[in-house]
Amino acid sequence: MNTTYYVCKYTPIELLAAFGARCQNLNGMPQGFDRADQIAHANICGFGKSLIESVLEGNVKELVLVNCCDTIRTVSDLLHETGKLDFLYTVDMLHTGGECSRERTVAQLKALARAYGEYKGTQFDPAAFRAAFRPAPRLREPHISVLGARMGKELFEMVQKAMPYPVENETCVHNRSVGEVLPPETDDFDTLMEWYAAELLGQIPCMRMMDNTGRKRLFNDPNLKGIIYHTVKFCDFYSFEYAAVKQNLAVPLLKIESDYTLQSSGQLLTRLEAFAESMDMTRCEGKEKKMGKGYFAGIDSGSTSTDVVILDKEGKMVNGTILPTGAGAAVGAERALEEALKDAGLQREDIDAIVTTGYGRTAISDGDKSITEITCHARGAHYLDPTVRTVIDIGGQDSKVIRLDENGNVVNFVMNDKCAAGTGRFLEMMARTMEMSLDQMSQTGLKYKEDITISSMCTVFAESEVVSLIAQNKPTDDIVHGLNKAVASKTAALAKRVGGEERYMMTGGVSKNLGLVKTLEETLGTTLVVSDRAQLCGALGAALFAKDMVQQ
Amino acid sequence: MQVVETFGRYLDQWSGPHPVRARRLLRLGWEAQNLKNKYLPDKRLIPADRDLAVIMMDAMLKPLQKPESSAIVSVFTPCEMLQEVGLNPYNVEAFSCYLSGSRCERGLLQQAENAGISETLCSYHKTFLGAAGKQLLPKPRCIVYTNLTCDANLLTFRRLAQRFQVPSFAIDVPMDQTPENVAYVAQQLEQLAKFLQECTGKTIDQEALRARLRRSRRTLEKFNQFQTARADRYLPTDLVTPLYSGMTNNILLGTEQVERYVDELLRDVAKAGPARGKRIYWMHTIPFWSDAVRQALVFNEGAQIVGCELSQVCEPDFDPEKPFEAMAWRMVYHCLNGSATRRIEAGIRHARQAGADGVVWFDHWGCKHTLGSAQLAKKKFEEAGLPLLILDGDGCDRSHGGEGQTSTRLGAFLEMLEEGGTTR
Ligand code: SF4
Ligand code: SF4
Ligand code: SF4
Repeated sequence: MNTTYYVCKYTPIELLAAFGARCQNLNGMPQGFDRADQIAHANICGFGKSLIESVLEGNVKELVLVNCCDTIRTVSDLLHETGKLDFLYTVDMLHTGGECSRERTVAQLKALARAYGEYKGTQFDPAAFRAAFRPAPRLREPHISVLGARMGKELFEMVQKAMPYPVENETCVHNRSVGEVLPPETDDFDTLMEWYAAELLGQIPCMRMMDNTGRKRLFNDPNLKGIIYHTVKFCDFYSFEYAAVKQNLAVPLLKIESDYTLQSSGQLLTRLEAFAESMDMTRCEGKEKKMGKGYFAGIDSGSTSTDVVILDKEGKMVNGTILPTGAGAAVGAERALEEALKDAGLQREDIDAIVTTGYGRTAISDGDKSITEITCHARGAHYLDPTVRTVIDIGGQDSKVIRLDENGNVVNFVMNDKCAAGTGRFLEMMARTMEMSLDQMSQTGLKYKEDITISSMCTVFAESEVVSLIAQNKPTDDIVHGLNKAVASKTAALAKRVGGEERYMMTGGVSKNLGLVKTLEETLGTTLVVSDRAQLCGALGAALFAKDMVQQ
Repeated sequence: MQVVETFGRYLDQWSGPHPVRARRLLRLGWEAQNLKNKYLPDKRLIPADRDLAVIMMDAMLKPLQKPESSAIVSVFTPCEMLQEVGLNPYNVEAFSCYLSGSRCERGLLQQAENAGISETLCSYHKTFLGAAGKQLLPKPRCIVYTNLTCDANLLTFRRLAQRFQVPSFAIDVPMDQTPENVAYVAQQLEQLAKFLQECTGKTIDQEALRARLRRSRRTLEKFNQFQTARADRYLPTDLVTPLYSGMTNNILLGTEQVERYVDELLRDVAKAGPARGKRIYWMHTIPFWSDAVRQALVFNEGAQIVGCELSQVCEPDFDPEKPFEAMAWRMVYHCLNGSATRRIEAGIRHARQAGADGVVWFDHWGCKHTLGSAQLAKKKFEEAGLPLLILDGDGCDRSHGGEGQTSTRLGAFLEMLEEGGTTR
């Protein structure tokens, strides 16, 4: 028998079951959207594309949609056009829950019943209808909620693994509450549908409902320990709720965005782990180790460089080494550590504990513990200058802004790694276009005359703008200043997003870029602390955590 | 251009820290533009369209001059009842266009994004939200909107209502074309009448409302005649005029000025010379700011726009004697309501009506239903014998431009039409 797939909590699955359907929520995340991209534009939400992907794969034969949003409506048209489905139906769900919408909903339920009954050749079975109502288990103990736009199965499992508490999925279709109350004792179809329409409409509203004040409940559960707010790229509904709640929540909040592919969820792991660390610092403690010679190392394995810091038992830095990462994280780390030991005149046995951090942190077998670069950067920055409350790190592949408290603990953070604009990569590409090295570029742009604005945010478009500016014979200083402004405004936007506060510190390789630092200072309207050890910040934080592991 | 850029720079600098000053500057700037429209109109336009520029600028200025008698609306909100209680439409999409025309959109978009609104939200919404956030826009009397064709409305207008702390009213339009759905919308419109009366303390005279709807119907019929008549005529045009008729046929529909305007159109088209060059029917919004599009299609005998989807409302088959049902019918049967296929079929009808040789489907960044159905549209238009170009861009946000690719694609498309001779 075919499975009837659905995607929305307003789908009348009990009604479908009464006609003999076996219903299942369609929620997997595909590897990519090769098939979907052929018939839909790349810039629609990943869930819409994953629906197309599943249907084109041929695994789905019956699908009941709800006209949730413009995307789903369009996807329904596209799927219809493919002719791949035996049964495709879109319920025209209203956006209101009042008296007259109940009437219209009853009419819609009956229309679906008619269509599905005809397709299946079955009749409404009141007993099967009743049997389909089953309450979903809910967490009563302290937990973390995932809220916002729907979260794919694989990503949710990853979240569960990373969090220090049990996790409840309260997104979209997942907080369907129909089933908690049983239908009235009657076999009369009309009466049952009246009641059923009210049940469907009476659920906690989602963001596509006109009145969604009922959503407050989701944020006020006394057992709530933290919220992971999930948005889907190219979906508009939920960023609005996030924007409205982010200021006034009593529990820690992490915002993540996925595009509904498996790859994108992999990149989210660092954020999830950093969030878990900030909620529960004991995660950073690791098993206690005995004091030996009293040296501790931190290794920050980044995409371009691997940094090592060695501290002594007073917490003084005895060595800081920066080497290119090269072929692999593990080899790169080993080499950098060797180099650092040699420099400091130490042996591997002299090191009592090693903490690894950065993208490659888990690939390094040498470490005693691995901690995300977010937590480590905060710790390192606090060590370098305890007055710092906001750290701006523009790296090669990503940029991040971290807010910390007076003890160096992470309060909030954002990361951008999806879009090259606003990262070191952007500057690197533009330097190449202008045929100069990064070093040259960082000395340029200070003495600009004309205030040029690069209007494109997309790297490819920005590149063609630069090319045409060169063609117009604009002075290099002016163009570089324009580019610095583009990166600065992206970065300042990130800083605003976490509620950046004085004082600001800038870390990462880009902190050496004088022109950019100056432009960023202007954009933020403040001065930046730039330490000469700025690039070692992550490794330094890791070394401090390593020191904590050892009894003194 | 230099003047506009400086104007934009000051708007950008002052909005936020000096909202009163910024608002005054905005109003002065637009008033100056309006004087220019009135006394130094663009002579290349037909007389009707010269007046249209003034009608639109007047409509944009009213909310700045008298915000307390203005209502923020989405573009497909029926406005006849607002007109009856003396509320001016304060339209989100049009305001964003004009703000972008004043070259201050970048800071406004950034403001919205900084507040946490997603980068991928349509720029018409984001610009307006940013302008509200930076207090560049004054507080309206109330807000009326509908989810018709655009569900971003549900979010934007709700947020605006919170921001301005004013009453708001939402009209839910279901997607299927059925009499029950018309009745459902009509019920809501009756509630809207009460809402508007409460907001303003004025009463809506039923007979006056009927007269207004008769005018609306006549206006749409005449506009329809105009679109048919232009099929074998050459009418020089710029990029904003087709967008303006999208505004007049929706938010200003029912006013005397707009009926006068369509009368004038009919007179002008009768006087126009025979059709010339390649004729483009435009689906969805037009990037009026783009030099690439301007070069290809503005005041160009070789190629020009002969109609825009946004100015087609519905077949004017509604009964003005039942005003609530009439307005409800217009919404439920709006060309853009419901399935993509329905929208595409209407596009094909209207492109043929205006004698188009080719069609541009403008993939405005962030407009989900337009992006989603682009490929389907290409297939269906071409099956109907109308070559279609899918053009990516943004109607409002210059940073999503890519002028180079726009120019190449549009140029190649026009060359292709040229080679194919008249595919009509
Ligand atoms: S957002 Fe709401 S309407 Fe849309 S699929 Fe989810 S539960 Fe259904
Ligand atoms: S994720 Fe957003 S855009 Fe995508 S189907 Fe759900 S509500 Fe629609
Ligand atoms: S362009 Fe599309 S998304 Fe933007 S307001 Fe119009 S319909 Fe909505």
